[in-house]
Amino acid sequence: MAASAADVRSILSIPSQSGTPQATQKKPQAQSARKPEGISRELFSLIGSSAPTLAAQLLKPRLKQKPNLGNRSCVKWEWRSFKNDARSDGLQLGHWTKASTDPTTPYPFSKYNIQPTVYKYTDEEYTQYLQDQAWTKEETDYLFRTIHEYDTRWYVVFDRYEYPGGVSRSLEDMKDRYFSVCRKLVRNRPWTGDEASKSQLIQSFQFDKEREVTRKKYVTSLENRTPEQIAEEEALFIELKRLEQNERRFKRDRDELLRTLAGIDSGLPDVVEDEASLTAPLPGDFLKRKKTKSGIGAESEPAGPSNTIALGPPIIRKPQNAKSAAYDAQHCITRTEQTGSGSTTKAAHQPAFLRSFKIPFPKAALAPRINQGLTELGINPTRLVMPTRDNCSRLEALIEATTAMVETKKTMDKVEYEIRVAKGRLGIRESEEAGAGGGAAGESISTGIPVDAMDVDEAEGGGDDADEELAEDGRAQSVASVRSARGRRQSRRSMSISSVDTSATLPTRAGTKRQKRG
Amino acid sequence: MVNYGGDEVSAIVVDIGSSTLRAGYAGDDSPKAIIPTYYGYTQNVPEGDAMAEDGAPPSRSKPFIGQNGVATWRPGMEVANPVRESLISDWDPVRPLIEHALVDVMRCDPTEHPVLVTEPAWNTPANRERMAELMFEELQVPAFYIANTGVLNAFSAGKGSALVIDVGASIASVTPVVDGFVLRKGLVSSALPKLVHAHARHTLTSPTNSRAGIQLYPHQLIASRSPVDPGAPPQFTLREDRVAGTTESWKSWYEAREVDEWIQSVAGALEQGWNDQAAAMRPAKQYEFPTGFSTYFGPERFTVGEQFFYHSPQLVASNPNLPKNIPALISESLRACDPELRQVLMGNVVLTGGGSLFSGFSDRLINELSRSFPHVKIHAPGNPTERRYGAWLGGSILASLGTFHQLWISKEEWQVRYSVGCDLFHVLNFHPHRSTEHPSSARGVNSITVEFILIPSCQCIACNNHLLLLGTSERVNQVCCLTSQYFTQMLFSEYCK
Repeated sequence: MAASAADVRSILSIPSQSGTPQATQKKPQAQSARKPEGISRELFSLIGSSAPTLAAQLLKPRLKQKPNLGNRSCVKWEWRSFKNDARSDGLQLGHWTKASTDPTTPYPFSKYNIQPTVYKYTDEEYTQYLQDQAWTKEETDYLFRTIHEYDTRWYVVFDRYEYPGGVSRSLEDMKDRYFSVCRKLVRNRPWTGDEASKSQLIQSFQFDKEREVTRKKYVTSLENRTPEQIAEEEALFIELKRLEQNERRFKRDRDELLRTLAGIDSGLPDVVEDEASLTAPLPGDFLKRKKTKSGIGAESEPAGPSNTIALGPPIIRKPQNAKSAAYDAQHCITRTEQTGSGSTTKAAHQPAFLRSFKIPFPKAALAPRINQGLTELGINPTRLVMPTRDNCSRLEALIEATTAMVETKKTMDKVEYEIRVAKGRLGIRESEEAGAGGGAAGESISTGIPVDAMDVDEAEGGGDDADEELAEDGRAQSVASVRSARGRRQSRRSMSISSVDTSATLPTRAGTKRQKRG
Repeated sequence: MVNYGGDEVSAIVVDIGSSTLRAGYAGDDSPKAIIPTYYGYTQNVPEGDAMAEDGAPPSRSKPFIGQNGVATWRPGMEVANPVRESLISDWDPVRPLIEHALVDVMRCDPTEHPVLVTEPAWNTPANRERMAELMFEELQVPAFYIANTGVLNAFSAGKGSALVIDVGASIASVTPVVDGFVLRKGLVSSALPKLVHAHARHTLTSPTNSRAGIQLYPHQLIASRSPVDPGAPPQFTLREDRVAGTTESWKSWYEAREVDEWIQSVAGALEQGWNDQAAAMRPAKQYEFPTGFSTYFGPERFTVGEQFFYHSPQLVASNPNLPKNIPALISESLRACDPELRQVLMGNVVLTGGGSLFSGFSDRLINELSRSFPHVKIHAPGNPTERRYGAWLGGSILASLGTFHQLWISKEEWQVRYSVGCDLFHVLNFHPHRSTEHPSSARGVNSITVEFILIPSCQCIACNNHLLLLGTSERVNQVCCLTSQYFTQMLFSEYCK
């Protein structure tokens, strides 16, 4: 942007001024610093900026200029001796200062000589307030002197404290004595300020010796751990974390399963209620629900308004007015609800598609087993001959159901295995306990838990044929068995480790206690 | 100037170690004068029989000090070192040593400069007083201060609290420093460097399967030598004229120096602890001695460094007074400290001293410490000057601080408090109510008559004890006899009114 003033003029077709280039150039040079009057701001911004470049072009090349250090004369420094106000003697040291500084100013570093506030007491005060069995006045004096000498650096005070003929004092002893004396002095002396500041000051002298000693003990024991102990501690910590995580995963799995199988109807829609159902009075409650369920029978289930199994595209959800319904019927129009909830945005827009493109597929992880199951039924899931909406939804429902079944089977197997393990462990424990209890489990039920609970346990006991149950008795039954098995399993775990999920294990733990007693 | 807290009063820092004496201006980053603490002297030939009948030791010549002192061969020259185990044990050569450093090397006038001197943490009060006396009475310094090497090493690392591991020429010490104070209970030291030196010497001089014992002659005693293959016996001729005049002390000095040079260039410590395979894996190092003998040193060179960190049970059993090794020193020091401090100290470990420049030492130390203390943090300057002269550097920082200048002990204070006061307090601490005249032969004080009177009416503000009136013919002071604090000063003439 090195446009000269002449260029600007020719561009703007302003007649050139009569002066020589030097003359025209001198002006902006002078003006470069600040805008003079009589020139418009725009013009100044145009030519004002170009002035230096012009000057540079017109000047003769020179050697590198000497740096301009300003016209100030050299600062004079002189060696001057000074007196330090922080010293009590008359030592004069010397240093270099600017000659311009006032020799009478006090030494700037003397202001850092700050003495801490020292608490002192008179003889009367000592005899009146500060008597202590463990401390003589001389030793207290010595303590205060030492503390003052080392500016209440406690570790140093403790290191240097050597009262001739005194008993050996711990750091806490000294702190306790010092702070208690200070507290008493503050409390008993006339106080000029307000009460709040006084209590605050006393608060700052608060010292709990017992607590400090215990804390130190803890610090020491923490340091005295052997590497093995540290390793063990870490391993335990990791184990605990892992168990917690497992617990959470189990709970999630269980909730999912419950929701899948029983739906909201079961009254166990979420975790909170779920847990509540496992606490003390609920087994009977739960059983009742189960009974009503099984009484209605399997065929009533799909009729549930929010049955989660029927996950096919909802047929017609939109409330339609009569007119449009009639119109649709006349023209064989079936309205489907769009899947996306707020489908106004472009991204959510679904273009037209063939339904055969949208044939549902099972989850990749479970696909082989589901396909196997479907093949057993004589259905080829890969090719839907007539992908009408009904067919599609049916296939989807089928796949969903199969998935649920497979998952349930998996969980069942797991639970069965755990039951077996737990039983084995129980057997070991019972044999250890001299076989006194005999049929401990049965006893526990008969003594405490309502009779209905028997059914639960029976259902659980029949865990081996859970699959049949799933097929015959409806899902509620199997849910119950799964749940109670979970409860049982948790109770076993709660014996071996301190479980996190205490609320769920509360009743069963009571049961185990009873077992032990029996 | 005020901005960074520095105010230089052209103070001089003097750091006297076992092997060298360092002196320089405060505020510099390295000492100006570094002279060996070893000095040479010759016994003067007794003139006549005046000496012999006194039984007094024959007088010594002027000591040979500095670069051309002990390292130059002189007929009949003995070698001595005033510093033993970091403490000054022989005061006669100390003044010439300091004067040589200040006047001959630094070319400055000690009467114009305040002097800061270092002392090891285990220095005795008597030694400290003697140093003050030397400074004030003999060198006539205007002000003096004596600071602890442990604290100064911590300062040179920029830390107020630190665990200072100082490996010097003769003593290895571990010093816990908290807020600029040494914790005396946690202070430990041992003559470990001596043990390492002895081990290295033994390694060199004792014959092995592959070589005969190595002769440790210095180049000063060798007239000529011819090159030989590595491992072959050396071919050299000694300067027989010199060998005859060589004293035993000079011989041990130069042998020690040859061993030290070998340690510095060849010996090392294994970073990961002793391991025969690892030691064998390391490349052998060639070293040529002044005799022309040269050979390769393999795993044996690492056994030397091992002495710093591990002593075999056989060695411990055979030698009850074995100096403690570094890990033992550290754990002993930490055990004596408050459990709460241990974390702080281990987070601020300062490694210093010329001995810590031993090859592989700092890596090995880091490994040893991080094994037992997970949060250890070691400050080990990579710059050899900072490592060797850490205490001097800390003194240089301290003496150039503006806030430090109130701490100097002035000559005036010395005259009252140290030469007169200390003796008095010594007496008075045992007889607090004596009111007799002190023997006027107070040590180190010339032409000052000392009187003291107990003043029953005045009491010390710190300890309520009775004040003493302590005075010379010039000045009168009120002094507390317990805390040695002194209060009012007045001229004697004023007092007489």
